[in-house]
Amino acid sequence: MQMNTTITAVSVRNVSKKFGAATVLEDINFDVGEGEIIVLLGASGSGKTTILRIIAGLEMPDSGEIILHGKDVSRLPARERGTGVIFQSYALFPKMNVEQNIGYGLRLRKKPKADIAKKIDELIELIGLQEHRKKSPSQLSGGQQQRVAIARALAYQPEVLLFDEPFGALDAQIRTRLRREIRALLKKINVPSIFITHDQEEALELGDRIAVLNQGKLEQIGTPFEVYNKPETEYVATFVGAANLLLGVVFERKISLGKIFLEMPEDSANFRNGQSVKIVFRPEDVFLRQPENLTQNYQKLATGIVEEINFVGAFERVVVRLDLSEKPPIIVTRPKTETVAFPLTIGQEVNVGLVRFRVLPNFTLASERAGRTV
Amino acid sequence: MSENVRHTSGFDVVKPLSITTLIVVMLPLVLLPLASIFIFGTSSGLASFWAALAAPEASFALQLSIVTSFWATIFNVVFGLFAAYVLSKYNFWGRNALIVTISLPTAIPTAVAGFALLLLWGPYGTLGRLLEPHGIQIMFTAAAIILANIFVTFPLAFGVIKPVFDTMSKSLEEASATMGATRWQTFWHVTLPSLRGAIVGGALLTFARSVGEFGSTILVSGNLASRTQTAPLYIFAKFNEGQVEAANAIAIVLALFSFAIFSILFFARDWLETE
Repeated sequence: MQMNTTITAVSVRNVSKKFGAATVLEDINFDVGEGEIIVLLGASGSGKTTILRIIAGLEMPDSGEIILHGKDVSRLPARERGTGVIFQSYALFPKMNVEQNIGYGLRLRKKPKADIAKKIDELIELIGLQEHRKKSPSQLSGGQQQRVAIARALAYQPEVLLFDEPFGALDAQIRTRLRREIRALLKKINVPSIFITHDQEEALELGDRIAVLNQGKLEQIGTPFEVYNKPETEYVATFVGAANLLLGVVFERKISLGKIFLEMPEDSANFRNGQSVKIVFRPEDVFLRQPENLTQNYQKLATGIVEEINFVGAFERVVVRLDLSEKPPIIVTRPKTETVAFPLTIGQEVNVGLVRFRVLPNFTLASERAGRTV
Repeated sequence: MSENVRHTSGFDVVKPLSITTLIVVMLPLVLLPLASIFIFGTSSGLASFWAALAAPEASFALQLSIVTSFWATIFNVVFGLFAAYVLSKYNFWGRNALIVTISLPTAIPTAVAGFALLLLWGPYGTLGRLLEPHGIQIMFTAAAIILANIFVTFPLAFGVIKPVFDTMSKSLEEASATMGATRWQTFWHVTLPSLRGAIVGGALLTFARSVGEFGSTILVSGNLASRTQTAPLYIFAKFNEGQVEAANAIAIVLALFSFAIFSILFFARDWLETE
């Protein structure tokens, strides 16, 4: 696990939570470094919102601790924790203007008026809303409201910023621009931040590290590169980006896929002989060539027949049915350079090579899931 | 498409026809009765109108109506606010039953309400009987009028305030809490300002309804001139005595008063909501 600095700003320790009979969180552990951005990524119902609310003190865990800058705040109410929450709806106070919203936390702390005014000026300049300072929230655009919400939380120097699906209510183009702006802003002010999202692209772009949650369990935490390229579970592989899955059996540091044997990648875990495994590879990690032309930089997987070709803008999406015992289809994406260098036609026989793949233990023995592509 | 074109470009006979129908229906039912109060009240000159108003019994009745309505309004707005807060925020067993109970007084005939109050607080009533030995009498005093007003207008403020509470985003209160506010600070700085329109609206409705209350007041007040006689009771009493001018003068005041309140409600609503 990499961290920007060695100081731990937030520690989530063994946190579990049930709502009635349903387990929402199960033994969650992670740290956030000073100035680090962590993204909690998961589908709806994965428990990511509950973690955020537990850190903020809006929900109490059944067990476990929340430690903010070395202080155990697990039993403190929300108002004594000093977190800054940016809600999906921004939750700006409708009867207060921009200045009053930003100054609210300082007024509650009974700071001198001059200090409050100075801080408001600083923050309004930081978020670039000088001309809008007297406006009420309803007169601002979604992006402006969000910046006010961030400034409002920054005003009282929060222990951590917590973003609850902050881009959910915005349209796609603005979303991409805003998340870059906000990442740049957070890096400038160096405040530890936790985002929650179900959007993997957003997670990859925003986070210094990503924590993938599934049904209340932390599946993996790592840098965007690690999570994308070295998924530790099938769920992570299929939730973060698209992935092809094939069933195999380990034999002497090789993986047998019927008549084909693949060399085990060096960073693979230790598997015993005869253990059932899944090999996982990204659509862009597949290389297609004429049967005689596959170079040595790739491990040959099998031959296959091109079944479908779709033009998807920046790349081409191809479905290839492999010549393996169960004839699983796989999905391949090819960049423009490839489609020009080696054009394909439906029904064509190709050699399928893998640039990179991961080997994961196969916990579920349902063989029908082997060829599943997500 | 062709039908749409006809509606927008040709002369639309439906519009003047429907507006005329509306006015013709309202004329005998609402507009003319109101107009006749003013026509009759001013027919013998403004001087006699003022004289009728200046009669001690008349001005007492008006004052009593305003004072008792004021206290009933204060109580029902504060209580309505509290009840709306509790019933919006907390979910508990019997919550819906409580909501129905609060709303019940609107459906009960006002004479029944007055009768019910008499049975409870009257000299021989369940509670009145216990109070009487201590020299405390509720019925046939201004307190009884306030009680009757409270009962009859009980759900009005609550009914206006609760929907605003229901639609208020929970994240506003949560945001305030994470920023360091106590529950009271959150209520005062965040929740209450958003309710301003509903509070003013609820108060005006309660007050207007209280001032006009007749059925329950006539039972519980004793209808004693210059002691427990409210403005509507005065109108009724003077009418029975054949003093139509005196009754009419107060009727004009009450009608203007209602008109003013509903104008505020109608025209100031936007201002109250947005400011």
